[in-house]
Amino acid sequence: MKNMSRIVYHLARLILALVFIYAGAVKTQDVVAFAGHVAAYQILPYAMNYLVASTLPYVEFLAGILLLLNVRVRPALVTIGGMTLVFMVALTSVLVRDLGIDCGCFDPGGGENVTAGAALLRDVGLMALVVLTWWLRNAGDVGRGTRNETS
Amino acid sequence: MNDLKRICLEACVLIAFGTLFGLTLNYQLVMDAFSGQLAPPQCETEPVAGITNALPLPAMIDEVQQAIAFEGVVVDARSPELYTMGHIDGAVSLPMVEIDAALPAFLEKIAKDRAIVTYCSGFGCPDSFDLGVRLIESGYLNVRVFEGGYPEWRDAGLPVTGESR
Repeated sequence: MKNMSRIVYHLARLILALVFIYAGAVKTQDVVAFAGHVAAYQILPYAMNYLVASTLPYVEFLAGILLLLNVRVRPALVTIGGMTLVFMVALTSVLVRDLGIDCGCFDPGGGENVTAGAALLRDVGLMALVVLTWWLRNAGDVGRGTRNETS
Repeated sequence: MNDLKRICLEACVLIAFGTLFGLTLNYQLVMDAFSGQLAPPQCETEPVAGITNALPLPAMIDEVQQAIAFEGVVVDARSPELYTMGHIDGAVSLPMVEIDAALPAFLEKIAKDRAIVTYCSGFGCPDSFDLGVRLIESGYLNVRVFEGGYPEWRDAGLPVTGESR
């Protein structure tokens, strides 16, 4: 059972790590295009769209790297969980306002064409993975298996 | 509890590191955006549900003056009551709260190729932006939003019309 928990924990951790490393890395390739996607949500003033687009991908990338390396896992999970929660609120507001925009979650260059509803479902799945990883991490011996594992 | 506090603190440090890293790499872009030298970001992808993604550009106060000088149309998106109390000299009233009723007359009167600047009650007010989007959707080609709105115009001592200035 412990072995199964360990496998599920590492699997969930790696999926989250890869998703957020990819999401962050691909957005850093075209910050201005990503700012366009943020602006399409019509939540922030003009300049703030650029500020968010200039910083958010790097936070995603960094949190993903920590998960991949299995260090500071819980702070990384808190960060990723917080971001996912914000994304979910933003996507819900898009659905409520019936904006019909592309979510811009991964590919700022276009070609993704994922509706807000589909993106929201995906975020629910990611949030479930965050909770599962957190729970398994806290439940017992699923980390690196040594006392000096960090967080 | 202390453990949770430490985890949250470390998460904040992680966010700060990521933010700092992003700001360092994109410093010029962010500075340009905040100094108003950048066009508003546009989404270049096709809209999913066929709804336009075009957004109105921002206009600074001197650009509003320029638009007026070159026969542009300044449009007040606030309520008729606020418009009566005071508005930018020469501005046309097109209240966002009555947009469905008022838009047809506006479309008849103002040609689609004329430069339009919308405004409302300043930075906290979304009506000028919403009106800008609506006008673009209605076919206007050159629509800008004066985000400083009536307060910035009035406080700059520029000409206004109305009962209480």
